[in-house]
Amino acid sequence: MSDSPLVVVKDLHFSRGEMEIFRGVDLCIPRGKITAVMGPSGTGKTTLLKLIGGQLVPDAGQVLIDGADVHALSRKALFALRRRMGMLFQSGALFSDLDVYENVAFPLRVHTNLPEAMIRDVALMKLEAVGLRGARKLMPAELSGGMARRVALARAIALDPELILYDEPFVGQDPISMGVLVQLIKRLNEALGLTAIVVSHDIKETLSIADYVYVIADGEVMAHGTPATLDVDDDPRVSQFVHGEPDGPVPFHYPAVDFLTDILAAGEGR
Amino acid sequence: MIARLQQLGRRGCDGLETLGRAGVFLALSSFGVPSREGWHLWLRQMHFVGVLSLAIVLVSGLFIGMVLALQGYTILVDFGAEQALGQMVALSLLRELSPVVAALLFAGRAGSALTAEIGLMKATEQLTSMEMIGVDPLRRVVAPRLWAGFVALPLLTVGFSVVGIVGGYLVGVEWLGVFDGSYWANMQASVDFLDDVVNGMVKSLVFALVVTWIAVFQGYDLIPTSEGISRATTRTVVYSSLVVLGLDFVLTAMMFGGLS
Amino acid sequence: MKRSKTMELGVGIFMLAGILGLVFLGLQVSGLTFSAPGDTFRLEANFANVGSLKPRARVTMAGVTVGRVTEIELDTEWYDARVVLELDAELEGQLPRDSTAAILTAGLLGEQYIGLSVGADPETLTHGDTIRDTQSAVVLEELIQQFVSNMATN
Repeated sequence: MSDSPLVVVKDLHFSRGEMEIFRGVDLCIPRGKITAVMGPSGTGKTTLLKLIGGQLVPDAGQVLIDGADVHALSRKALFALRRRMGMLFQSGALFSDLDVYENVAFPLRVHTNLPEAMIRDVALMKLEAVGLRGARKLMPAELSGGMARRVALARAIALDPELILYDEPFVGQDPISMGVLVQLIKRLNEALGLTAIVVSHDIKETLSIADYVYVIADGEVMAHGTPATLDVDDDPRVSQFVHGEPDGPVPFHYPAVDFLTDILAAGEGR
Repeated sequence: MIARLQQLGRRGCDGLETLGRAGVFLALSSFGVPSREGWHLWLRQMHFVGVLSLAIVLVSGLFIGMVLALQGYTILVDFGAEQALGQMVALSLLRELSPVVAALLFAGRAGSALTAEIGLMKATEQLTSMEMIGVDPLRRVVAPRLWAGFVALPLLTVGFSVVGIVGGYLVGVEWLGVFDGSYWANMQASVDFLDDVVNGMVKSLVFALVVTWIAVFQGYDLIPTSEGISRATTRTVVYSSLVVLGLDFVLTAMMFGGLS
Repeated sequence: MKRSKTMELGVGIFMLAGILGLVFLGLQVSGLTFSAPGDTFRLEANFANVGSLKPRARVTMAGVTVGRVTEIELDTEWYDARVVLELDAELEGQLPRDSTAAILTAGLLGEQYIGLSVGADPETLTHGDTIRDTQSAVVLEELIQQFVSNMATN
């Protein structure tokens, strides 16, 4: 395995309508490590993953995966590249018309010509890895949120990808399934040597597993470093985010005119 | 005033852009490669849009045939021409009512369901995740639905006509006492297979394409929220109905209106 | 797996029913017959006026359909209408040369068709021959005019 980073994001610009979401983001994701991308809600973290996966096209800048510019690839080459990536969606995004087993077997069926017995072996192995081999006959609608996310994880790793993208893996989970997911992500990374990008705003869990962290705010990389260096960062914005303080440089209030003037102006209509 | 004009222009541009996207969408999804897997997906959709729409289409067809016979009889009997009832029922069904009413029912029953289903798949990120797995959702999700609709509606239209003619027979012959032989003989003498049956089927094929296209495109293009889905479902039914009725006039003028 | 089998069966029955329905529309509703196209022969007949006779109209004999009209065109030599008939092949060589062809109307407002009635000539009509003795369509206006002028002379 070479030492060059697997994913390089260079000077990425992206806007949706009038709103500028990224104004020159640079990231460097090393192989075999867990890299976390953190930031307050609404900073376009999911958008970043979609840009890396080639589903959105940036206004300027490049995303290089293993040296290939994702947005310059043909549709066919892009689909081929995506076979080497797995993505875990916030909602799990299991196919609602297939049961758990078929969901995990789906990538195998479409991308390989393996005989049915082998598909079965691989699918059961992946389900075993997330501890849900016994749930293979259930339909997605019968699963709890945490279980659905674990099945989705099994599906994402079915083809043994090199890179796996996690979109908010911890959101809306009870403490137990949160712990299970943290464990799983860590273990998968160690056992399979996967490169992982975790997008999240759950600070404690993310810092516990990440090797390197980028903090994004206002469309730019605000800070980056290992979890240890970030914890003692001097920048007040970083420390506000990392320590979860309600008010600070990132204001609690949505921009508005002065409260007193607003109250007194009541008579003159809104 | 200028602002109004500007708004109108922007609306026009947006509309054209949507139409262009819908065209590209149709072109990309209609070339779903037929495979064993694709065959199964198609079969499943045929069941969903075809077999499950059968009941509503057949029941409506029966009632429309019966009403046609009843109304036609009261008019024709004034001219002493009630033996032409079969001809009237068959021609109005084959040329107009079957293709149009079946398409409208299809838009309400199957079209709206297709929009909601695809919209829900979009809202729950199933389409995106499919794309990330490296499978084109246009081929895997949209193409089977498009082709199933294209095949199912003409078959439903045939069913509508048959049941409607039988309904007309029940009311006209069994109830009102038109002579059995003249019901069928007049029908056979005046209905031409090419001019009436085949032209009706051509209409139905056009409607099938348009209605299914609108339904899957609205589902694929909607804003993935619950409000977006409900709006897109309504739009599917409204647009389909308008387009079917408008196209029906154009097709009728071309086929029967002496413009040939 | 079992569910998919019943689904397949359902779709199969649905498609079969659709095709059978189409056959029903063809045979029972539009009265298609599968007669081979070869077993007919052509006769021509000139009429002074064909009224509203249309191609594909029936040709009958004693009320039985024996063929249909294939072409109607203006004969520029006599300025009358030349009608081409296609009759069942079994009648070839059976119809006497002085048979008559008349344009008749089914009911008061019905469609027009051609009725053949047999003459007595020993010679018979064969493929491509012309029926000499014809009777034009009755034009309602002429009939009324005749009636009115008869009333006046009486």
